[in-house]
Amino acid sequence: MKRLAILLLSLALPCAAVAADYTVQPAGSTLGFSNTFQGESFNGQFGQWAAAISYDPANLASSKFDVEVTLASVKTGDADRDGALPGPDFFDTAKFPKAHFVTTGFRQSGGKVIADGTLTLRGVTKPVSLEVTFKPQAGGATLDVAGTVKRLDFGVGTGDYADTSVIGGDVKVIAHLQLAPK
Amino acid sequence: MSLRSNDRQWGSVAKFFHWVIALGILGNGLFGLLMDLAHSPMQKINWLALHKSIGLTVLALVLLRIAWRWADRRPPDEPMPRWQRLAAQATHGVLYVLIVLLPLSGWWFNSVTGKPLQWFKQFNLPALVAKNDELRDLAHGVHEYLFWFLLLVLVAHVGGALKHHVFDNDNVLRRMLPFGRLRARSPSEGDQP
Repeated sequence: MKRLAILLLSLALPCAAVAADYTVQPAGSTLGFSNTFQGESFNGQFGQWAAAISYDPANLASSKFDVEVTLASVKTGDADRDGALPGPDFFDTAKFPKAHFVTTGFRQSGGKVIADGTLTLRGVTKPVSLEVTFKPQAGGATLDVAGTVKRLDFGVGTGDYADTSVIGGDVKVIAHLQLAPK
Repeated sequence: MSLRSNDRQWGSVAKFFHWVIALGILGNGLFGLLMDLAHSPMQKINWLALHKSIGLTVLALVLLRIAWRWADRRPPDEPMPRWQRLAAQATHGVLYVLIVLLPLSGWWFNSVTGKPLQWFKQFNLPALVAKNDELRDLAHGVHEYLFWFLLLVLVAHVGGALKHHVFDNDNVLRRMLPFGRLRARSPSEGDQP
């Protein structure tokens, strides 16, 4: 009887421990990237994006990120660049208006949490891993994610623009999310 | 031919600076005017990067040239009327100012547009001033019209040199030519021993 109770309890436990759902507070939250152009680094920010965040550091198995980014909302502080990025050579927002990242699992690596997922960008879906820093605080939490996306894997900047000695090939993706409990 | 200038002609260092900077500025100036022929935005980006790299090289050579000119002696003027000497000196002075200002104005223009400044993909140089979209057209105009002005002054410079070479038969041009042979004597010295 005691054994049965333990068995039932152990089956029930994972169901009980569901990661908490959060809503993203737009004020104070940013999602962007940095790259280099002609040896100088620049930052880009997306103005429009939405993220569904379920996260519990103690229960990574049930945690999940689902992020959708409106690519045409990109701003990099340079009018020429902002004009070119939505065009067919880069994001091609007419055909592919949004990028989508969804996690497939979380793992611990050297004291850090890594979110493995798939990124769909410009019609290409490939695995991308992001480092996760989660800090609970009064009234919610902050979530920082950082990772590297190889732009040419997704055909962002093809043809002439594929020259990574002019436009860096490894794009750092950075997001800072201000979370409030749902 | 010695490195330094002597009483008769310019030394090889002075000649090197003169001709390399002349070719660099004229070639890069024409290149700059032809930027819009690029058949793609990326080609224009690469052409501009090359134009900026050459311009920076010219600027460095001009500064070295001025330092060398300071340290080197210069051959005395060929015999000529006073007005010609003054005109030549004024032309040289304006040309020196222009070959400094032309690349510097390009650097300023680049800074105003907020674009990176990279030397042949090797290293980056800082902006001279902060990005300022309102100054963009002005800076572009200054940079381009300095080149047109330089061409105008160059007409006087080349015209003067050719006039001395063809009509006066003196060494004004020959003493600056890379492999030029001087005339045995200036005609004005006559045939006296």
